[in-house]
Amino acid sequence: MDPLEAIKVTFFQECEEQLSELESGLLAMEQGETDSETVNAVFRAVHSIKGGAGAFSLEPLVRFAHVFETTLDDVRAGKLAPDNNVVKVMLRAADVLADHVRAARDGGVVEEARSQELASALEALNGEAPLAPIASEDFDDMPGLEFTPLTVSDDDGIGDDFGFTPLAAGIIELEPEGPALRRWTVHLRPKNALYAKANETGLLLRELKRLGDIQVSIDPADLPGLAELEPEHAYLSWTIVLTTDRSQSDIQEVFEFVDGDCDLTITADDVPSSLPAMGEASIDEPFDVMALIQQAQADVQAAPAAAIMAEILAPAAPAPVFAASAPSIPVPVAATAAAAGVAPDAAHGAAAQQATIRVDLDRVDRLIDLVGELVINQAMLAQRVTESGVPRSSNIAMGLDDLEHLTREIQDSVMAIRAQPVKSVFQRMPRLVREVAAMTGKQVRLVTEGEGTEVDKTVIERLTDPITHMIRNAIDHGLERPEVRVAAGKGPEGTVRLSAAHRSGRIVIEVSDDGKGIDRPRVRQIAIDKGLIEVDSNLSDEDVDNLIFMPGFSTASSVSDISGRGVGMDVVKRSIQGLGGRIAITSRPGQGSTFTLSLPLTLAVLDGMVVSVCDHTLVAPLTAIIESLQPKAQDVRAIGPDAYVIAIRDTYTPLIDVGAVLGYRTTPLDPTKGVALLVEGEGGARAALMVDAIQGQRQVVIKSLEANYRQVEGIAAATILGDGRVALILDVDNVVAARRREKARSDAKLAAAG
Amino acid sequence: MTEPASASRLQLIENLDLKAAGPLRSELLSLRHTPLDIDASNVQRLGGLCLQVLMSAQATWAADTIPFAISSPSPAFQEALSLFGAEDLQPFVQQG
Repeated sequence: MDPLEAIKVTFFQECEEQLSELESGLLAMEQGETDSETVNAVFRAVHSIKGGAGAFSLEPLVRFAHVFETTLDDVRAGKLAPDNNVVKVMLRAADVLADHVRAARDGGVVEEARSQELASALEALNGEAPLAPIASEDFDDMPGLEFTPLTVSDDDGIGDDFGFTPLAAGIIELEPEGPALRRWTVHLRPKNALYAKANETGLLLRELKRLGDIQVSIDPADLPGLAELEPEHAYLSWTIVLTTDRSQSDIQEVFEFVDGDCDLTITADDVPSSLPAMGEASIDEPFDVMALIQQAQADVQAAPAAAIMAEILAPAAPAPVFAASAPSIPVPVAATAAAAGVAPDAAHGAAAQQATIRVDLDRVDRLIDLVGELVINQAMLAQRVTESGVPRSSNIAMGLDDLEHLTREIQDSVMAIRAQPVKSVFQRMPRLVREVAAMTGKQVRLVTEGEGTEVDKTVIERLTDPITHMIRNAIDHGLERPEVRVAAGKGPEGTVRLSAAHRSGRIVIEVSDDGKGIDRPRVRQIAIDKGLIEVDSNLSDEDVDNLIFMPGFSTASSVSDISGRGVGMDVVKRSIQGLGGRIAITSRPGQGSTFTLSLPLTLAVLDGMVVSVCDHTLVAPLTAIIESLQPKAQDVRAIGPDAYVIAIRDTYTPLIDVGAVLGYRTTPLDPTKGVALLVEGEGGARAALMVDAIQGQRQVVIKSLEANYRQVEGIAAATILGDGRVALILDVDNVVAARRREKARSDAKLAAAG
Repeated sequence: MTEPASASRLQLIENLDLKAAGPLRSELLSLRHTPLDIDASNVQRLGGLCLQVLMSAQATWAADTIPFAISSPSPAFQEALSLFGAEDLQPFVQQG
């Protein structure tokens, strides 16, 4: 990959991050958090995207981002109140911006009409329409359309005259309060690094020139003779007197991308009364401010943030350059913001904290694989040592214990590398909700909880589709139209709740709505119509609810745009099961439904109970097992020719012979000769699995059976035991369900015969 | 100090960006102690580093009391000088 391409890839990765920042910021604003920190974070996100896009000449993206940024700038400046309406438009704009980013990355274009519509909507928000005339009439200056020279090197041909044609005059940033011309004095002393990073003083000056009228004088005092001159060092400094109606932040923005690579001061020749008076007390304690900045910047890109942070802090920070209209005191500021006069090393400090690296996923996976092998190897070694008769108190055995401990720790740490918060999935949902709500004409509020819950990356990747589908369903089928809701005594706005939590070694994700709940008579009727159940089947409410998971079931009588995409809940169920998860539904008529997903935290290891069945070794996932017991003859009752139930604390639980289900034996095991594992399947249904004996508990590394062989009914995966043998891992739910299906079939046969 | 009879001419290249600064300096150094006439007619772009080199050269030639001139400046060159506020070089720029 050529370097530019690589930078571009990074840019798009960062775009994704910025987009999610943007979205969460806007959502926070929607909830009323309109403090400057949130607003600035949102602004920063859009601004960074625009800056990077400008460098790659992604014009549609830049154009749209610019309009967006302008509106946000008004919010930031307090000219536009971020009320609900404004935030809603911005959320939709964020969606379009995301589309623009994706279009720029993957090729393709964003529907012009949609983009245009949002751009106009944003412009409409920009204060009181463009009533202030463009004072100077100087369109060449085009003050709103500055080009940020991010990584434009001097010889790439894009050049300085690279400008963006405005869509409409309305885009041009208008200063509502009219052309209050002010004079600013900018001292600029480039450092060597500025040129080393392919930035160019000339471009900065040109940028300044766009803001207004400039008078430039050069200071060659430090310039050595030609013989002593290092051609790549910076010797010159400039004093620029700029007359402009633009704000100080606009001027600072010009220098945003040469952060720390130049000494810069910007002073107003006349201090306007609107600026807060600066006390001198705070000058003595600049370190608090630095700490603040560093903290605030910890998770933010250092460069663009620095200027903005400094700006936010300006009122609180010592600002020697603003201390009256005295001659400016040159302050070497890393952030370009001389106004703040703070934190020479803010950018560096931020960089030092929370360092992260991007690692190719293949490498992590390989590491995980190797650690898996290590765990197996360690188990085998331990077994060999035990077999060789070395006493448990010997040094070798103790050393092995340490090794086991260490192996386990390595495994946990490696797994933690892959663990990611579910936030990345949850964050896609607000947009989905907005779109589906718009399409169905329903009012929906999405509440998310537990976004920080971490789970393995593979699980996360495969969660998006099921959750998307469930949320679509919740809105389309679950929630009622506003008028219906009001008639039912509810608020017109429906709520969809998406939550995640860790519960006993699994992640539990719930999608719930406060809609009408499952229409059981209708579900039942449909199931009968489609021949999924018999007309006279006696089904509990729970059974009826679970019918929606049956293949071929779809409740929407008219296939709607939203849910009728040929994907039913059965697919959702299957994909969840494919992840080793379970899905359950609870529904209360008139009050809504809750779908509960329970998933393993990782797909790589499993705590299991090793059991033997007919000389075969099997592993039952520990998470499914509630208890194990030795059945007593009086507790076991036969129902039918080959079905048994067992009484466990006064409740009868089906007794399932694992050996029979898996086809290991044809004659049922005498219940009193084996061990029963009480397991809880999906939906809380319990069953007792009969096995011959329990060997012990062990953590096993999961090896996919499907990838290496093929899918086997009743078997979830395989593993390699300490002695090198392969053991199959039971799919508990499947075994229980298989038994039920068998029973249903034999019932049907009986019914047919009778 | 030797003073050759005729002035050396130096044709500036089109793109005087940061990469051109080193070569420009060497070139100028090799012409030191000779009257210099720099032809700026081809210049399309002048960056800060090359500006430094030119200004330093002008000062050096002045210190050596040897004639130094920049002739037939291109519009881009002129514009860049005024953008940079490089008054020190202006007097040496000769039109034509």
